[in-house]
Amino acid sequence: MSLFDMMSISASALSAERQRAEVTSANLANAETTHTDDGGPYVRKQVVFSPTSGTPFRTVFNGLGRFAQSPTGSVKLTQVVDDPTPPVKRYEPGNPDADKSGYVEYPSINPVTEMVDLMGSVRAYQLNASAVTAAKQMIQESIDILKSS
Amino acid sequence: MAAISTMQLIEGYLKVTDDRQQMIAGNMANIDTPGYHTKDIDFQAAMKQVVNNSGAAQLEPASRELDGLPERPDGNNVNIDRESLMLSQTQLQYQMGVQLIKSEFHTLLTAIKEGS
Repeated sequence: MSLFDMMSISASALSAERQRAEVTSANLANAETTHTDDGGPYVRKQVVFSPTSGTPFRTVFNGLGRFAQSPTGSVKLTQVVDDPTPPVKRYEPGNPDADKSGYVEYPSINPVTEMVDLMGSVRAYQLNASAVTAAKQMIQESIDILKSS
Repeated sequence: MAAISTMQLIEGYLKVTDDRQQMIAGNMANIDTPGYHTKDIDFQAAMKQVVNNSGAAQLEPASRELDGLPERPDGNNVNIDRESLMLSQTQLQYQMGVQLIKSEFHTLLTAIKEGS
């Protein structure tokens, strides 16, 4: 059932890239957020990807020694971390979030960086979607063996 | 017995192509994973295994990490062009294997029907 494994590998990447795009959109949306629930400005988020060794199902079966299959190379978004860059200060004395000297802390978000990140995740999504299409066609072809010629 | 052994050989070939395609999918999935290195199957070794085990599906696909690809600053060396190319190539190879197996079955059918 390797072809279906291939599909689930690509599916893991689709999901990871979609989450990355979500985080990037959240950064873009909150580029001017100066006041969050925790107080202080919004902190830019970054995603961490890491390779995983197989689906839990397969790992359990490997443990039983039924399938001595090599671990699959899917990807997983393991954590969303805060960008440690300090906030940018702008002089806006009229802003309700301004400190005593009239400075407002804005999140250090560069729209260009975010757009590039967004494009990167869209392209990676497209790439993995084409891998799913390839897997689908291969499965279809192997089903076609059964068809009488 | 020639037909059966050819069939077994093609079956092994399909299995190897399938494993390779899975590895390519893995590489594509990890295109943004820091420190990930491109994996590929050792096609020759895998096919040798198929021939030696008379078509029996090998347990461990002979995977290896590919050297010589330029590494990005984050330690990842997945090349999007290479993977796209390999995806199409492996897909066609798989298609070829399927067609070969189909023609083997067709030959058998011709023999069963005594050529009619």
